[in-house]
Amino acid sequence: MSTVILVGEVEGNEIKDISQQVAGVAAGMGDVIGLVIGKNISESAMKLAAGKVVIADDEALKYYDPVKYTSIVSQVVEKNGATKVLMGATTMGKDLGPRIAAKLGWGYLGDCLEASSEGFVRPNFAGKILARSKPDGPLVASIRNNAYPVGESWSGSVENFSGKIADSTLSTTSIEKVGAGTIELTEASIVVSGGRGLESPENYEKLIRPLATTIGAATGASRAIVDAGWVPHSHQVGQTGKTVTPELYLAIGISGAIQHLGGMSGSKFIVAINKDPEAPIFKVADYGLVGDLFEIVPVLKTKLENQ
Amino acid sequence: MNIAVLIKMVPDTESRLEIVDGKIKEDGFKYMVNPYDEFAVEQAVQFKESVGGKVTLVSLFSDNSSIDTDLRKMMAIGADETIVLRQQGYRGDRTTSNARILSKTVKELDPDLVICGVQGIDYYQAATGPMVAHFLGVPHVSGVTNLELDGDKLTASRQMEGGLQIVESSMPILITAQKDMTKVRFPALKDIMMSKRKPFENREVEIEEGTDVVTVECSLPPSRGGGVILEGDGPEEKVDKLIEKLKMEAKVI
Repeated sequence: MSTVILVGEVEGNEIKDISQQVAGVAAGMGDVIGLVIGKNISESAMKLAAGKVVIADDEALKYYDPVKYTSIVSQVVEKNGATKVLMGATTMGKDLGPRIAAKLGWGYLGDCLEASSEGFVRPNFAGKILARSKPDGPLVASIRNNAYPVGESWSGSVENFSGKIADSTLSTTSIEKVGAGTIELTEASIVVSGGRGLESPENYEKLIRPLATTIGAATGASRAIVDAGWVPHSHQVGQTGKTVTPELYLAIGISGAIQHLGGMSGSKFIVAINKDPEAPIFKVADYGLVGDLFEIVPVLKTKLENQ
Repeated sequence: MNIAVLIKMVPDTESRLEIVDGKIKEDGFKYMVNPYDEFAVEQAVQFKESVGGKVTLVSLFSDNSSIDTDLRKMMAIGADETIVLRQQGYRGDRTTSNARILSKTVKELDPDLVICGVQGIDYYQAATGPMVAHFLGVPHVSGVTNLELDGDKLTASRQMEGGLQIVESSMPILITAQKDMTKVRFPALKDIMMSKRKPFENREVEIEEGTDVVTVECSLPPSRGGGVILEGDGPEEKVDKLIEKLKMEAKVI
């Protein structure tokens, strides 16, 4: 059996859901050793679903630093003779993965949609193409939230990282919370997105955000309204923005340019609300509502509140 | 300040994507500068304008010279020179091998700062920046939405879940640009004319065998046949039908 290093992440006092999902994936590939890096994370780290967990808990590791974290992961890999490193495709995973692959001289697959001992599938061209591979050499991969069953919690053995923490010239001075309480687009199970049909940034605030809050959704946007400065780029769904694969995607006042469709057509169910019956978004929507969004959205919000 | 900017030439977003025998049909592709790399060029030029120095563009591509005009446009924005590494049989998805080749040329330039886009809009590995940084032996900060220069210190705002990580560092360092980092200027006519006289060097490079994972099969995502249009008299009825569908069929609410 090969050994797989699973890099887990802690949020608050819990292991991130995505990390537990990847733990489930890793279990199908070999003996799993979990690794959690941070400060004051030891107790939470033990909840990672792996037979053995290595914990690197140190003041110097409070904030993510690619130089320090890469050195820790590669030391744990070498010590355990591992041949795979897996992690969630979070902003940390997507940044750390390639640097580890370069250091170890291994292959790298980022942001995988599917991962198993059978092979990997990752999106190219913002999901307009799916690329399948069956790597046989050592590999680092980051895996996207894809509703994998969460790995079972396990009270296996725990070991403290005893290697050296590399020096780094990077120093994190603070974390600025933007839009506290909002749900991250790429991790959300429901996404409500707005486009030019909203006519003004005020209407985005008035219609899209409250609807999203009502159903616990993340808020997204088309490129057109990001370029117009209505919402920050972190909201953009599509080829030059984020690729999302929620259970439910609501496209409101979005016509559905091909670049946008690429970023959301992997969603399980798509609902489109648009006044133009010819809009391309209806070609991918499971349920379409043709009509005035200014009439439909408030009714939808009220009725969903009563659910 | 000596700045190197990595540029990837990527298929135009309007390109028709066709699959033949499990491979993407690429012969009809037109190429463009990866949009995220344009933000990097603009940032590099702004730093040069404020503290002086030089901006060198480095790109790895095939011997197809149709891309030269677009690279010259990046010099019209204010970059000083371009080095294109020409490789027979170039592929944009040989991530590690390509990063290693790029890093060799960048190393010769001995830059204080290397900037590139956070990801290519072709393969989305977001790997070139972190990998080149490793091969250069410098730290990196990726997905940066704002970059400030104060003497020899850089302060980067890095996009992360729910917020920004504010990171300070000395140089040398590699930064990858997120969309909000800069707004790319439209060059004036005189800058476009001037860019035609700026140095543009082509160098031959070989493919390096490496550890990159090879794609065995490409496919189009399962096509989503258009679903149903929910008819009804007025918004009330349409919304009722939608909620019914979401509860009974989709089971998402």
